[in-house]
Amino acid sequence: MPRTFKEKLLSDDFLVTAEITPPKGTDLNEALEDAEILRGLADAFNVTDNQRAVMRMSPLAVSKALLDKGHEVIMQLTCRDRNRLALQSDVLAAYSLGVRNISVMSGDHTTKGDHPRARPVFDIDSVQLLGAIRKMKEGFDLSGNEIGGMPDLTVGAVSNTDLSKPMQLLKLRKKIKMGAEFIQTQAVYDTGQFQTFMEHIVDMDIPVIAGVIPLKSAKMARFMNGNIPGINVPPEMIELMENAEDPAWEGLSICAQTIRELKGLCRGVHVMPIGSHSRTPELLEMAGIRKDN
Amino acid sequence: MIISSAKPFEEILELLKEEDDIFILGCNACAAKLHVGGELEVIRMQQRLEEAGKRVVGWVVPGAACSVASFDALVEKNPAIKEAKAILVMACGSGVSTVSRVAEVPVYPSNNTNSLGGRSQGEVIPELCAMCGNCTVYYFGGICPRGQCPKQLINGPCGGSKDGKCEVDQDKDCVWELIYLRLERIGRLDLLERIWDPNGIPD
Repeated sequence: MPRTFKEKLLSDDFLVTAEITPPKGTDLNEALEDAEILRGLADAFNVTDNQRAVMRMSPLAVSKALLDKGHEVIMQLTCRDRNRLALQSDVLAAYSLGVRNISVMSGDHTTKGDHPRARPVFDIDSVQLLGAIRKMKEGFDLSGNEIGGMPDLTVGAVSNTDLSKPMQLLKLRKKIKMGAEFIQTQAVYDTGQFQTFMEHIVDMDIPVIAGVIPLKSAKMARFMNGNIPGINVPPEMIELMENAEDPAWEGLSICAQTIRELKGLCRGVHVMPIGSHSRTPELLEMAGIRKDN
Repeated sequence: MIISSAKPFEEILELLKEEDDIFILGCNACAAKLHVGGELEVIRMQQRLEEAGKRVVGWVVPGAACSVASFDALVEKNPAIKEAKAILVMACGSGVSTVSRVAEVPVYPSNNTNSLGGRSQGEVIPELCAMCGNCTVYYFGGICPRGQCPKQLINGPCGGSKDGKCEVDQDKDCVWELIYLRLERIGRLDLLERIWDPNGIPD
């Protein structure tokens, strides 16, 4: 029997999680094929929730489809699109369908997505949602009504690794206090900076899974530096990309080196490719990661 | 104060397209201070409407458009209002709504209402308060995150701010950055450690 994500979290394994994007439409094939590529390589798939505020299929349906294929999922849940009733309602639905891992986050604002006039909800925030789920695990909803409980639900959260933002660290502390059992981060490029972050939060004693995004071009690196909060691609990496004959391969190679460095620093990596996972197995092989579960 | 701004005159004309014999009602509170409903603006509105071919039967600038006792009280002070077939209110939505409750003719707004804000040293500051009914602004150094954070986050910032600027508006400081700096300055960073429950109650 394959061990669960929770059991792996409690072990010393170096974990691999991978992002699966729900379809913009009703066809699940692409998402399922993407996951299939990583069967045996990824410990769990993060199913994104209207990522970047772009409307897509509900992560609940995609999670269920992945579960049916024997994959383990981490369903993402943002506070942007649902009030406290809908959030709890979806947590119950997910649990009843077999989802055992949920990762919560505020979510990008609606103005950043493809329905900019949509009314953002943010009825409760990620700290409060973690608290709500903790209460639900114990058998009660936010109003204290009995709901039966869901003891084997594992809950995660996300964090920035930028130490220049003390408020981010404070919020991370609050998330852990409210029941976060693991943390996934924004993409890491500067492992030195990441190491400092890890040293800073050593007292928090929580498994950290570091995000990685393979670069495809120098242009993409510059775009991310300029536009994605919490991402810092060092200039020498951009230069490597600039001079590469095969930038996509160079990006994989840089990413593999990053993963190798991360192995000694945290509990796993979270692979977020732009597009599909077609080259993720190659990336993991270059990074020396093999799974045999 | 309620922050409101003047609608474009063309939009007001379009609203009043079918109307004539208009009475203009300003507001000597917030709208006057913001120069969108005081006496000068009301007189200017009268001129522009007349230039556009409308008959203006009169005008008044009461203390506050949002505090009107009755239609009779309005008439008592301004008999001309009886001739009016429409009222244009140069105030916030609350003023327009209050006048609408007592008026016997259609009431139109000349302003857009934006937020509850303030004015300090000449600067108009919008979105100071979200009117949530549970004031906790002290815990945030006097800077209300419900009012100023587009995600209304009260337990700390989202991951979307960049270089201290808001995810939604790069020209705007992240309110959590401001809260941090303010509490640091007054030596009360400890207030930030509170965890707020979903009802906005501190731990």
